Amino acid sequence: MDKDGKPVKIVMIEDDEGHARLIERNIRRAGVHNEIVPFANGTEALAYLFGPDGSGEISAKRHLLVLLDLNLPDMTGVSILEKVKANVHTRRTPVVVLTTTDDEREIKRCYDLGANVYITKPVDYENFSNAIRQLGLFFSVIQVPETQ
Amino acid sequence: MRNNSQGLLRTTYAYGVAGVLTLILLLAASFWLVAKTQSASDDVLQSREKLGALSNLLATVLDAETGQRGYLLTGESRYLEPYQTASDNVAKRTAAVDSAFRNDASDKPFIDQIHTAIDTKLSELARTVELKKNGKSTEALAVVNGDTGKALMDRVRLLVGELTSKVDSVLHRAVDQQRTTASLARQVAMGAVLIILLAALGAVATIVKYTRELVSARQEMETMNVGLEERVKERTADLKRANEEIQRFAYIVSHDLRAPLVNVMGYTSELEASLDSLSKIADDPQLAAVPGGPEAKVTIQTDIPESLGFIRSSTKKMDSLIKAILKLSREGQRVLTAEEIRLDEFFNSIAAGVQHRLSELDGEIHIGKPLPVIESDRVALEQIFSNLVDNALKYGVVGRPPKIDIRQVSSGWGATVVEVEDNGRGIATSDHERVFDLFRRAGPQDQQGEGIGLAHVRALVRRLGGEITMTSELGRGTTFRVALPKKLQIQSEQASG
Repeated sequence: MDKDGKPVKIVMIEDDEGHARLIERNIRRAGVHNEIVPFANGTEALAYLFGPDGSGEISAKRHLLVLLDLNLPDMTGVSILEKVKANVHTRRTPVVVLTTTDDEREIKRCYDLGANVYITKPVDYENFSNAIRQLGLFFSVIQVPETQ
Repeated sequence: MRNNSQGLLRTTYAYGVAGVLTLILLLAASFWLVAKTQSASDDVLQSREKLGALSNLLATVLDAETGQRGYLLTGESRYLEPYQTASDNVAKRTAAVDSAFRNDASDKPFIDQIHTAIDTKLSELARTVELKKNGKSTEALAVVNGDTGKALMDRVRLLVGELTSKVDSVLHRAVDQQRTTASLARQVAMGAVLIILLAALGAVATIVKYTRELVSARQEMETMNVGLEERVKERTADLKRANEEIQRFAYIVSHDLRAPLVNVMGYTSELEASLDSLSKIADDPQLAAVPGGPEAKVTIQTDIPESLGFIRSSTKKMDSLIKAILKLSREGQRVLTAEEIRLDEFFNSIAAGVQHRLSELDGEIHIGKPLPVIESDRVALEQIFSNLVDNALKYGVVGRPPKIDIRQVSSGWGATVVEVEDNGRGIATSDHERVFDLFRRAGPQDQQGEGIGLAHVRALVRRLGGEITMTSELGRGTTFRVALPKKLQIQSEQASG
């Protein structure tokens, strides 16, 4: 939550409805009640993040946090990450990568591109909910910077 | 090409043999012709001698007659002297004729006739000269007038003339013979020279033709080589693509398979959480009073937890299989780096890694030295041999201390072959190929594992450019034979992949 009281919106880009719901439940269980804006594909998410003109100005005054799945039907999450971190209006938006793969090279690549957190969705559910809860704690302490 | 070159050899030999044969023939013909010329010139010499002897004889007889005539005419003794000399010489000349004709038995009767005629003539001459000496000139002239002398002389002339013409014809024949032989010799020589020249030309032509063929064959081979290299490149690229596709496929499949699994597992946990609130109700004694209450209690307390347990364990199993595929696919994408590895030190460290388990099992590991130094990827080699040694320890026979033998069996053709032998439970012949398959295992399933170890090992060995084979006897032990290139060829595929 922002110091000015402006709520941080969580943009969840996740094509698997089950995963989306699990993530949401766990976030709520962790006591985070921010608005969650879900997107099931990359195109709609990009349209939301960068506006109809694609400039990203629309996000300049928003307080966002992006939860990003790397496996999307229409594009890879990596390319969304790239765009978000390359755009002057969105590059300070924190991005949490949430995906099923724990491939080291992919993790490294995401961090290289500017991802703030990388979480592997484990099959071992306890670990997963733990991670999400910790993420909730992380949300509560994170200072989402004022974007220009 | 081989047949061709043999044909060429044969042709060249044939030309050579033809040349040599012609030379020998020429030599033989020359000897024969020289002998022939020799005999012809002997004939010529003999004929000349005969002619000379005959003409000398005739001249001497004529001299004797001339001397007699002069003496008879003049009565002067100075005319008697030529007669005397000539008649003295006749014997010598006759002997010369005899000697000249000594080899010709056929002429003997003819010569005898000449002798007789000359003897008769000489005796007529001697009679007239004797008469004249005794002063009986008239009687002597009468003898001469009697024409017997003339007739005798004519006979001598005739006989000598005939013999002369006979010898002449022999002489002509001999000269003709010489001329023929000479021209024959010329022709033979020219013919031989022609044949030898042809043979030499043929040999040269064959060699030139062969050289041309060699050159064109080499050019053809060079172009073929270039084509072959290109084809190898194409095929390698195809294989590379196929391999990359398989890797990507494995990656995507395992990745996408995991996504629904996360849901299955997640909602199973959610269900378990929901079950907690239900079980509180199940314990409520009021439930027993509700219709269907006891059945619901059984469902909540036994059936649902059991079902959830199976879902959970199956999901875990599936997750581990997917992880195994992911691991293999990632291993295939790892970049290999070649470095020098001293195999003796390398195996010592492998042995040290299992020392604790070995001493627990009272087993031993023996490393046959010396071992060579090879250039390969250390991580891959470690995974290969750790897996093999690990298997050897894992699949032992209960009560038999494990014994592992590592040794080099051969080193040739740029490859090093290492054997890892154990005294474990062994693998049945029918399973020899199966154990290398992914998720397949053999023998009693009493050990933890997903059946990826050997599949992984084989994939690694092949990636290093080697091959792994095995021999095994059930209950006796197993020997894995790993052939590795002495020098790892890093392909561009690995550099880019």
